[in-house]
Amino acid sequence: MTTHPDSAATPKRFTIPIGPQHPALKEPGFFEFTVEGETVIGATLRLGYAHRGIEKAVVSRTWVQNLYLLERVCGICSHIHSLAYCLGVEKLAGVTPPPRAQAIRVLIAELERMHSHLLWLGVAAHDAGFETLFMYSWRDRETILDLFEQISGNRVNHSINTLGGVKFDLTAEQIVSVLKAVELMEERARYYLDLVRNDPMLGQRIRGIGTMSAAEAHRMGVVGPTARASGVGRDLRVEAPYAAYTAIPVVVMLETDGDLQARFIVRIREMFESCRIIRVLLDHLPEGDLQARMPRRIPEGETIARVEAPRGELFYFIKSNGADMPERIKLRTPTLCNLGSVLALCIGRQLADIPMLLIGTDPCFSCNDRAVVIHQAGNREKWTWEQFRRYGNEALR
Amino acid sequence: MNALGTLLLFPGGLALLLVALLAEWISRKLLARLQNRVGPRWFQPLADTVKLLAKEEVIPEGVHRILFEFLPVLSLAAVLTAALAVPLFGVVPATSYAGDLIVTVYLLSLLTLCTSLAGLITDDHYAALGGLRVLSQLFSYEAPFLLALLGPAVAAESWQITRITAHAGSNVWMLFTQPVGFVVAVIGLMGKLELSPFDAPEAHTEIVAGSLTEYSGRGLALFRLSRNVALVVGLTLVAALYLGGVSDPLAFAVKTLALLLVITTVQALFARLRIDQTIGLWWHYGVLLALGQWFLILIGKGAA
Repeated sequence: MTTHPDSAATPKRFTIPIGPQHPALKEPGFFEFTVEGETVIGATLRLGYAHRGIEKAVVSRTWVQNLYLLERVCGICSHIHSLAYCLGVEKLAGVTPPPRAQAIRVLIAELERMHSHLLWLGVAAHDAGFETLFMYSWRDRETILDLFEQISGNRVNHSINTLGGVKFDLTAEQIVSVLKAVELMEERARYYLDLVRNDPMLGQRIRGIGTMSAAEAHRMGVVGPTARASGVGRDLRVEAPYAAYTAIPVVVMLETDGDLQARFIVRIREMFESCRIIRVLLDHLPEGDLQARMPRRIPEGETIARVEAPRGELFYFIKSNGADMPERIKLRTPTLCNLGSVLALCIGRQLADIPMLLIGTDPCFSCNDRAVVIHQAGNREKWTWEQFRRYGNEALR
Repeated sequence: MNALGTLLLFPGGLALLLVALLAEWISRKLLARLQNRVGPRWFQPLADTVKLLAKEEVIPEGVHRILFEFLPVLSLAAVLTAALAVPLFGVVPATSYAGDLIVTVYLLSLLTLCTSLAGLITDDHYAALGGLRVLSQLFSYEAPFLLALLGPAVAAESWQITRITAHAGSNVWMLFTQPVGFVVAVIGLMGKLELSPFDAPEAHTEIVAGSLTEYSGRGLALFRLSRNVALVVGLTLVAALYLGGVSDPLAFAVKTLALLLVITTVQALFARLRIDQTIGLWWHYGVLLALGQWFLILIGKGAA
């Protein structure tokens, strides 16, 4: 038997674009995968399709107006953005919110974490072609959105935070419905944990896929549940506690496998932890005021605020020059830290695993889109509006 | 009965198309209810078809125009022809000849070939990859599916569908005498129709709509219709062979419906298999099980 020279030749390579519009991504990011047959051998990423210029817009709004703008950075973790902003501004002003306000802030943050994880679970299940799990987890997520509506009147942008405290108090009947929802969430989380651990068909798609060791996770600087799934215990609620977390120790959920399944399990176990925190909070809910008095002007100075968003560390840099508007606010969302790891994990995997790997870090594209211009030495030109427009249009082409 | 009426109205042609749309609705509605959704109204599949037929068909650049327009027509023609030898609604099929079981199975496969080719003739990378996956899937399920359908044929000592159904009607249900063959046949039918969890060829989070990505309007409507007809023909075939023949039309309709419900429930239960996992499943388990069943039947025949 002779061997044909052709049989040894490499199969034809071609590129599969995923994004900016693609059913796997609900937000615009552009990934280009080079595949050989079904195996990915190269990956590139382009961001910037949903750049909204929020960092520029905040410097032409007052400190209070920015609360509402920054809450709209992310459509899922809206509370945590305004919380980071409030913590930073309060630090600048030297104000400490009353304990009851701090407790309510954490309560909402933990509810938000649960609904964010449920949303992620649904999206991940959808990418695995498991529509039933998708529908179930989104149905359960409605419970928390309804709770937000009951507390604040809004389902997504609740605007609970204000500078110096919170706007809404918890009534006795709201506490009862929160506790009822927590009970339901625990029951559902137990079901999902069992499913993710033991379902053989789902297991085939997530077990041992996209494995990232603790050393790799360190090197690529991943944050949040993605890091915790690889055994890197990064959690700002423990490392640098803020608001009511200073009084309530948080147990960091760690998994050491580092594969997709570990990322599922970490997020679902964090739901149990959120439930526990909420119970403790409600058992020891301090009485008292909701708001501390803020000074009329925010003093000159700069500060950073770091909080643990559902996706990982959220970083705010705030600079004040004593005016009624901030001089500069820089924010870095967890997605930016995690996206680099996706490109590294994709190489050598099957094309069918790519959407799962991508979604495994829980990316949120429009939150992290920035326009960056690097000044060469001596080049300090300012862009006109016309130049910005042209740049934007060319970028999309 | 008038031959033209048999072909165009009942049991082939119009009645078959309507039942195909009804089957799609039952499947979609049940799936929706299992997933805690509301689901479509009863006329939704018909409305979808009418809407698609009325829409403009965009023919992309770089595609073989004649093939692009011809493939959906060919696939619908193939499945409608396949229906001729099958006892639809439990009535006597329009034609019957020795070996029509093989012809029917291969006419059903023509739909798959057309779907694959529809992806491969375009310049679209999603469609091309979808087309390749359809072919890979075809090569994996085709052998076990055929073996599973040949089990009853061997038991009845005939390759003619009417004879096999007559034999099936006068003996114990082959679901009980050949349970493995039944399972392989049902799963094979799901693989053939690219139903979840075997829907890797059209995994829309990976490759958009797979090989049909470039299709819109009439072409898409015809492909959807052919797949629904193939579903009804496949269900009829499996029910007739494995669930005790076609003696009573009403009982037969109930059996076919029950089979449809089983297939739909399976769709709701699992996550999608990757294409390599689909192939692995078939060649590691499907073929071996079907072959093992076959040998048992042959030994049983020899002993009797």
